[in-house]
Amino acid sequence: MLQILIQGLLLSGLYSLIAMGFMLIFSVGRVLNLAYGTYLMFGGYVYFYVSQMLGMPKLVGVAMAGVMGVLMGIAKFKLLVKPLKGDHVAVEISTLILAVVLQAGVVLIFGDSSKILLPIVPGVTYIAGASVTYNILSATIASYAILAILYLFVRKTHTGRAMMAVSMDPKGTAISGIDSDRINMITWGISGLLGAVAGVFFASYTQLSPHMWVAPLILSVAVVIVGGIGSIVGTLVVAHIIGFMEVIVVAWFAPELRGVFTMLLIITVLIIRPRGLFGREEL
Amino acid sequence: MAFLQITDLCAYYGKAQALHEVSLNVEQGEIIAIVGANGAGKSTLLDSVIGLTKTTGDITLEGTSIVAMNSSQIVRRGVGYATERFNLFPYMSVRDNLMVGAYTARDDVQKNLDMVHKLFPRLQEREHQETSTQSGGERQMVSLGRALMTSPRLLLVDEPTIGLAPKVCLEIADVLRRLRDEFGTTIVITEQNANFAMTLAERLYVLENGSIKAEGTVDELRDDPRLSEAYFGL
Repeated sequence: MLQILIQGLLLSGLYSLIAMGFMLIFSVGRVLNLAYGTYLMFGGYVYFYVSQMLGMPKLVGVAMAGVMGVLMGIAKFKLLVKPLKGDHVAVEISTLILAVVLQAGVVLIFGDSSKILLPIVPGVTYIAGASVTYNILSATIASYAILAILYLFVRKTHTGRAMMAVSMDPKGTAISGIDSDRINMITWGISGLLGAVAGVFFASYTQLSPHMWVAPLILSVAVVIVGGIGSIVGTLVVAHIIGFMEVIVVAWFAPELRGVFTMLLIITVLIIRPRGLFGREEL
Repeated sequence: MAFLQITDLCAYYGKAQALHEVSLNVEQGEIIAIVGANGAGKSTLLDSVIGLTKTTGDITLEGTSIVAMNSSQIVRRGVGYATERFNLFPYMSVRDNLMVGAYTARDDVQKNLDMVHKLFPRLQEREHQETSTQSGGERQMVSLGRALMTSPRLLLVDEPTIGLAPKVCLEIADVLRRLRDEFGTTIVITEQNANFAMTLAERLYVLENGSIKAEGTVDELRDDPRLSEAYFGL
């Protein structure tokens, strides 16, 4: 039982970080960024290239992945989302196509085969008798720390409050002197940063592959559907529900069923509470 | 040179024209009212001043044309706007709503917050309350307070009394007068309630079907039939 609790917390921290970037875009920009998983893929590959191929320090690799995520996010907003402003379907189709194109690009450069990322922090420790790798432990701690910083940023800074405002009332935002395009661009940059850093952790937890953008995207969509257009706290709660559910399913039933229960949860929430468990028009 | 000068302003929603060559001027420190029935174009006129509609013609603020600027630039130039529907952020606290208004006036946050609390003590008492749980009168106060947090020299107020109890209307009128008298803010309000407009403003413009039909001081227009036509929408 204690092992499930520990594993659940470890997995949920990572899931929270993965889903948060997706939720930000959905809440502020009101679009589903179906290329979101490519931030994770790019983050993983940039870290792999910088830290393992070039042999630079691991923290530099993580930082470079984050920078690449920010640049990708801003580029997506400027080149794709802004020109298609107002047409959410076109944005969603375009981002999906972009994801496939980016995947092909990664295959061209790095090949189609999976790669193993060396642990960011090597070693194993034991918590209450359960073995936990330092790699996943550090990834989880870093995830919670990043989410805490994000929460403070959104709640306590002018730009963060502006992000909340854009998610609630565009006219109210405009008459407050806020340039919503600029706030959207910043949000896309933050989303890219979160996704890319999460990608480093995710790839080191699983493996690096050109197809690794799909699973995080499904997870993120699930969190947004179950949580609703939501608060940061709501996203955290739902990511933990899904994380713990997967750990329990794997431990008590069968690993093959881990995703099935998440899908069942989505369908159940869609039927019972279509706006999601925490759904309200806010960030 | 007028503080705010609007010249031959036309405004459009798609192909529909909502304003027809509207011209008016506002001197610094004045309170003027634009009166008219529902659908006369009052809100469109204020939206146009702050850059929210597609327009032709010209709008100058202290001699500088602002017609090609976006809302953010216009607010930074000292124009605040409290809209008819308030457009508050419903799941944010009163204080956070006010702080969003401070986005372009970060150097003046404490000074403006003190002013807002002085004008609306109730907002300080309820600063942690979400605006979605507030009454119409309180939301109007937050809306005005948020506009004041932008450090406006020109304050636009769209139908400040709509749906509010008479006592609250008097409070709002008192605050707007104090804003002009104590802080020198120039104020443009729109109103369907011509009586309220006449008790507050020095000059009136009568707007009907997107055009100015009459203008003048309160004394000049008090018995003008065009005012009652606009008032009653006849």
